[in-house]
Amino acid sequence: MSAFTAESGSRSAERGRLFAQPVAVLLIVAAVLVWAFTTDLDTVEQESINASSILTYTWQHLVLSVVITILVLVIALPLGVMLTRRWAKPAAPVFLAIANIGQAAPAVGVLVLFFLWTGLEGVAAAAPPIAFYALLPVLRNTIVGIQQVDPALVDAGRGIGMSSGAVLRRIELPLAIPLILAGLRTSLVLAVGTATLAQFVNGGGLGEMIDTGYKLDRVSVLTVGAVLAVALALLVDWLGAVAERYFGPKGIG
Amino acid sequence: MAENVTTTPLDNADGDAVSGVEIQLNEVTKRYSGQREPAVDSFTMTVPAGNIVVFVGPSGCGKTTTMRMINRLIEPTSGKITIGGEDALSLDPDQLRRRVGYAIQQAGLFPHFTVTQNIAVVPGLLGWDKKKISDRVEEMMDLVGLDPSVFRDRFPRQLSGGQQQRVGVARALAADPPVLLMDEPFGAVDPITRGNLQDELLRLQEELHKTIVFVTHDFDEAVKLGDRIAVLGNQSKILQYDTPDAILANPADDTVAGFVGAGASLKQLTLLRVHEVEMTQAVTAKTSESVEEMRKRIDARGGRPFGLVLDERGRPLRWVHKRDLASGRRLSEAGRPVGDLVSKQSTLQDALEAMLTEGGGVAVTGGRGEYAGVLEMETVMNKIRELREEHGDGADE
Amino acid sequence: MNLFEYVADRWGSLSLQGLLHASAVVQCTIIAAVIGVLVGIAVYRSPLGSALATALASAILTVPSFALIGLLIPILGLGVEPSVTALVLYGLLPIVRNTIVGLGGVDPSITDAAKGIGMSRLGVLSRVELRLAWPAILAGMRVATQLMMGILAIAAYAKGPGLGSEIFSGLVRAGSANSLNQALAGTLGVVILALLLDGIYALIGRYTTSRGIRG
Repeated sequence: MSAFTAESGSRSAERGRLFAQPVAVLLIVAAVLVWAFTTDLDTVEQESINASSILTYTWQHLVLSVVITILVLVIALPLGVMLTRRWAKPAAPVFLAIANIGQAAPAVGVLVLFFLWTGLEGVAAAAPPIAFYALLPVLRNTIVGIQQVDPALVDAGRGIGMSSGAVLRRIELPLAIPLILAGLRTSLVLAVGTATLAQFVNGGGLGEMIDTGYKLDRVSVLTVGAVLAVALALLVDWLGAVAERYFGPKGIG
Repeated sequence: MAENVTTTPLDNADGDAVSGVEIQLNEVTKRYSGQREPAVDSFTMTVPAGNIVVFVGPSGCGKTTTMRMINRLIEPTSGKITIGGEDALSLDPDQLRRRVGYAIQQAGLFPHFTVTQNIAVVPGLLGWDKKKISDRVEEMMDLVGLDPSVFRDRFPRQLSGGQQQRVGVARALAADPPVLLMDEPFGAVDPITRGNLQDELLRLQEELHKTIVFVTHDFDEAVKLGDRIAVLGNQSKILQYDTPDAILANPADDTVAGFVGAGASLKQLTLLRVHEVEMTQAVTAKTSESVEEMRKRIDARGGRPFGLVLDERGRPLRWVHKRDLASGRRLSEAGRPVGDLVSKQSTLQDALEAMLTEGGGVAVTGGRGEYAGVLEMETVMNKIRELREEHGDGADE
Repeated sequence: MNLFEYVADRWGSLSLQGLLHASAVVQCTIIAAVIGVLVGIAVYRSPLGSALATALASAILTVPSFALIGLLIPILGLGVEPSVTALVLYGLLPIVRNTIVGLGGVDPSITDAAKGIGMSRLGVLSRVELRLAWPAILAGMRVATQLMMGILAIAAYAKGPGLGSEIFSGLVRAGSANSLNQALAGTLGVVILALLLDGIYALIGRYTTSRGIRG
């Protein structure tokens, strides 16, 4: 019983966030933009705080996040599925250990190292290391999600004549979706958050506003960039929550 | 009964034959690498077409492994398996399994599929058209006693354990396979539900005559369901393969006798159905009739001063003694309510149980719950005596 | 110069940075644990309070660390203050959440029994509930520490202490002889420290969890 209270506690927390979060995001963004555009800006500030640069930074940030997400999905989903197949099971701990180190390493370190090693710049330099850093939640949840499917269901599926591919497609993956979505949500938030560091390797994004504001000592620029980055992360997290709620398979949970 | 155990000639598995086909296992062995002893050692058996054969044995004896080799969820290391004369080992395993029904403990229903989707899986795999599948699903739900309009769109977690098990059986039967494999399918439900499910399986089997291989560790279940029982020892060694009466009467060795357990003659009662023994008729009256009317009938009959009050649809309601029938009372309130009932399909063991609760004879009902007669304690006692004489007293020691 | 030569050459400053890194993270974990457990104790009996605390703490975790550090600079300036504030804020969620789950998971019949034999409310909390919730709280602190290791590296941007400064100098000096070694030393240093601290947590868990409830 007591365990359930904690459970329902966090569930009602989720429910509360589902409504409160987008409202809070809108209010914060509106407040900061109104403040930024109504105060007297000097020329340095005007260079960063204008509709077109803000949109550009935000757009760069989004593009980078999307690229990272695609990388994460393309790598972690098939890898996770593969590592649950019988022939590849022994390799699972190895890959999980690598992914674990990926997440234990400081994101900024991985980013900088990749940049120094490859000499790449921009999205190409930022997306792979950040994807590596954000890979673990999807990978681990895919593996765990498939592993926690009751073996009796897989047995029943095979027993009534489904091929192993059909069992994967129609039973294992659908039942793993809630966990995979939860992992994806975590990965996405990590990706959007870490994308603020992309400016260190000329990857653009809202981090660039923060950096500019800091370097040129313009609090307004720094604040607008930081608040927008926060808002974007909260928004992505909210989208993840919505997806978890509405795209999970019916009949379970 | 024993007389029905005949090995019909091989039949083809094709077509929509309602009847099952014969399964033959020949020297089937399963060896796991790294284990010295084989898990199943040279298992040879013929499962007659249209029979229920129950594999019973202690856990870990290899009975499930043996069954799972029939649909090749486990690949035999060596040996030959034919189903309806066809070599099972040369077929594509997935194709094979689509033609062999499979039901397991806790039903193994897919939790994200509705009842309809669960039942429709195999017909879907076989590429039936939509109309045929949906007709078949309705038919199957009717067959296992679930109202399609109520249960069609439910998810498994919205069903009771017994209902889930019914869906499991419906799913196994959906593509009309000649052969059905059942791995402790009723192992996880409460005893009352289990009894009902067993009764229903027998009713289904009377209609369908599939070849069923049923695995259980519960000997009573084996006795109740099996046309034949295979008592298995370690490495799936067949200790005895015979009809339930024969095993109860003459266990092949001490191990089997130990498994049969005490009270073999009581267990034999589970082999007999109420309709197979004589019933007596009680004085009856409907609730709408008067107490005087009933008293008159009891007097006219002579004998014991009891009668049975039936409701308007003829279902037994209350037992009345003549002295309960004082004038002015209504029959619907006289005497005491009927405590326990048995149907004509119930086993004599169930009947004996009911008699112990009722403290004497028990009312028997027909298919729709209508009164059919009364079974007396004496009839059952006589039957037990008869059985003992038939097989000799040594059987239950 | 290869990495080993570089590390040997700069061992003095590297080990100092590493020590600062570890000590900052450990201290911040302790601060976060004190605050987190107090918050957890305050709210765990009320479902609404628990929901609110969990939601707030997880919203904080969603905030990009670079953005939070950026926001803290105008308020707290550079150096230790913004770093410590950021680390403690990020450490709160795992600790608050695990405290609530841990305390909520204590079997009510046990607390009933404790009350029944005459323990005060505070006695029940400190001698029974917190003791039983300790493994969960410790697990929360472990997660918090791992999070802080990486975030402190970013806090070097705001002149925070620790190995992050090695990474940033490596970045600034991109193209020069030892830039890669410097960034690599900083990154690997953080990884090694994280592994070390994780091992220490395992030991602490072993020796501070009552043998009666050890899994």
